[in-house]
Amino acid sequence: MAAAEASIFSGSGDNSVWTDVSPLLQAACNGLQDGELIHGDNFNLYAAMSALEIMDPKMDSGMIGRYYSVDEAIDGGAAPIPISFDRTVDVQCTIDIMDHLLACEATWHKGHSLAQTVFSCIYLLRPERTTSHALLHSYSSVIRATCKAVISVVSDARTHEEEDLFTMMYGLNLNGEDEKCLSILNAVEETISRQLRACRALSARRKVLEDIEPLQNNPMLEEGYCRAILARLRFRKHFYHVLMCLKRPQGRGLQLARKHVASCISELKAIRELSGQHTACGGQTISEDRTTASGRQPVGFDASLNARLSAPTPPRSIKILSWSEAIEYFLKLLQDLDIISSCSLENSLDCVLHFVVQFQKSQPDLVARAHLQRLLLQDGKLFGREAIFSVISKAATLPEVVKNHDIEKMECVIQLGQLVINLLRILCANSAWQRRKLGKILQDWRVTYIQLELALRSKFGEPSGTPSGENICMNILKQLLVWVEEKVYWIASRFLMLGFELELYSTSEYGMVYWYIYVVSVKLVEKLHHRISISNRGKRVKCRGKKKRVPGKDATRDIQFSPTVLFLQSHICLAEGLTMMLAALRNEKMILESPTPFNSDQERFFQHFELLQKAGIPDHNSYQSFEGSTKNASLSMLAMYNHFKDAQRIAKEVKSSFSDDPERLSELRRIEQVAEHNSVALSLLCRVGDALDSSLKLSFEFSHHPHFATAVVRRS
Amino acid sequence: MEQGAESASPGIDAGKADAVSRVRGLLFRRMLVGIKDGRFFLGNFHCLDKQGNIILQDTVEYRSTRRSSPSPMEQRCLGLILIPASCRTSCHVDTSIEERLSLLSLQDHHDQTS
Repeated sequence: MAAAEASIFSGSGDNSVWTDVSPLLQAACNGLQDGELIHGDNFNLYAAMSALEIMDPKMDSGMIGRYYSVDEAIDGGAAPIPISFDRTVDVQCTIDIMDHLLACEATWHKGHSLAQTVFSCIYLLRPERTTSHALLHSYSSVIRATCKAVISVVSDARTHEEEDLFTMMYGLNLNGEDEKCLSILNAVEETISRQLRACRALSARRKVLEDIEPLQNNPMLEEGYCRAILARLRFRKHFYHVLMCLKRPQGRGLQLARKHVASCISELKAIRELSGQHTACGGQTISEDRTTASGRQPVGFDASLNARLSAPTPPRSIKILSWSEAIEYFLKLLQDLDIISSCSLENSLDCVLHFVVQFQKSQPDLVARAHLQRLLLQDGKLFGREAIFSVISKAATLPEVVKNHDIEKMECVIQLGQLVINLLRILCANSAWQRRKLGKILQDWRVTYIQLELALRSKFGEPSGTPSGENICMNILKQLLVWVEEKVYWIASRFLMLGFELELYSTSEYGMVYWYIYVVSVKLVEKLHHRISISNRGKRVKCRGKKKRVPGKDATRDIQFSPTVLFLQSHICLAEGLTMMLAALRNEKMILESPTPFNSDQERFFQHFELLQKAGIPDHNSYQSFEGSTKNASLSMLAMYNHFKDAQRIAKEVKSSFSDDPERLSELRRIEQVAEHNSVALSLLCRVGDALDSSLKLSFEFSHHPHFATAVVRRS
Repeated sequence: MEQGAESASPGIDAGKADAVSRVRGLLFRRMLVGIKDGRFFLGNFHCLDKQGNIILQDTVEYRSTRRSSPSPMEQRCLGLILIPASCRTSCHVDTSIEERLSLLSLQDHHDQTS
């Protein structure tokens, strides 16, 4: 052992020494039988298996690679400043570093650790070193500030529970002067745009007004490099602005954020176009894995240097996204942020729920979802503006008197507020996480419902002889109950639908899933219709009181179903049609049940719907009721009554009510398509009857709608 | 796991059995293991198998921050680790001076017999 080490590892006492036992160990090994171990009484083989294996690349994050430390890497010339004394090369390399950092940032957003991605850049690890290199310094300080802002959103929103690596900072140095980073960036941007102007003037043989030193030495490349760098700097500037605007309380920065998002997108596209020109000039084929626009390897990156910092995670080797993937990622992120910024702050709770569900359809990534969540919920208020109870009372269309009423202080009402907040949070999570959590909160909603019901009963057990003030309170509670029930069914139907998106159901289970969707949707429509008619009645009373003319349209709507109800009605018909069709096909042995030796239908029913069953959604609804309602289904019966035709008809009728809502219109079109195809398939099946198994093949596809299957009959 | 395999014949076998029991006596003692890439591990000796792999408990990893020595050391706690025999370059145990002498004499004895 070297003297230096000996001094550090001094023995435990004055007269203790380190004795080399290697030969003794060798002798002992020779003396051991195969499989024999030397160990103490506290030895436990199971525990020993979890020991960290040194020098195993998948376990040992401390393996020493090329350099012992960041400082040694810098001394060894791994991250020189300037990057090259040739200024053209220096600019080239700086652009490569910028591009690779963008790829690293996208990789980080996609779920890898910060230490292994963005902070594999040695220049970022030692911010004080870059001060002399204005370009690199400005870019790395804005990157640092951006990372910090993104971490703060994600950890505020707590969406990172799904991606726990995301917010770990491992003691990395993110604390720069956040405010200053923009002024540094602006100064550099100003210089380079002057250089660009100068070189354009020179090429147009105009006289240069100012004496400006060019960015680099090669006049042929000057304009291209100036533009490439400007686009990159401006993208960073606008992106940082986007984050800062979205951060402003109560959604005050949304409009400005949209402007910056648009600038970001145009700069990104400019970056891509400029690089296309460069590569076209070079004429080389560049690999698709490249992380820079030029295809060169960037200088100054070494992911192994701070691998030790990611101590709680195994040292996985990760693949950084390619440059074009990174650009695509940021374009998608910016589009998602644009959708978020376009959210109307005046939206009612139902609109917000619809907005979030709609937003989730494009499968936004973590960072976008975190922003949405933070916008929706600030200081426990919707958009940081409206207290949750007031949001609920609007959604449940409670009468105005509810303000200043002590209903708000009832414990179960406070709980209800918390449940709504949790629901919004959960809806912002990724699909898998979301479905799991939705299943779990159903029970909480159910408990709150029961508590409200009990409160109603205990307060107003005697219906007669109550003063009118109490009557109002009773009505409020009743209305609240209807609303809570409606939301419970809404959550349940979202839970069931998400199963299709996550591909959790097998074809043989579609029957029971559609049956459940049917049952839940029927209840949902019932409650929705109930609530709407109560609120319409309330409105009418109010109108009459004010002696205003009631528009004829409103009066008829009361008797008819509202468009929202009809919209759901088309879902119901489709679900019922599919349930019956699948049941008939099974009963008439036209689809072969894949016999599973493991689980019976009843067991699978329980596995899929356990959480719904436990929460009693709906009440008295069991496997037996499913069996009972489907065991007599037959094709001849379906031929007489075709649910798909109903679905088609309703979808057609209701279209006109949603002429200003393109999303619902396209949903209705999809429903029409599914209904039409299934209707055709059904009549075909009725005609061919038993011939099916021999010459025709039946399958179910999701080509028209993500949740409602289309039956496809093919000649085999 | 007692010394059931101990052979009655003197000489080599006795020497081996002796080595095994001496190593058993080192259990729970502070052990310092150096490995190929220059790191050191200081922990409590927990287990040794026939292939020479060592398990240490409550281990701290020491690494130089530079290749050129002397240099400052960096350290971090690792807990239970397994050091494969293939990457081990040195192995020391914290002993008193008397014990060191006896361990060395044993090795001499062992060298003679083998």
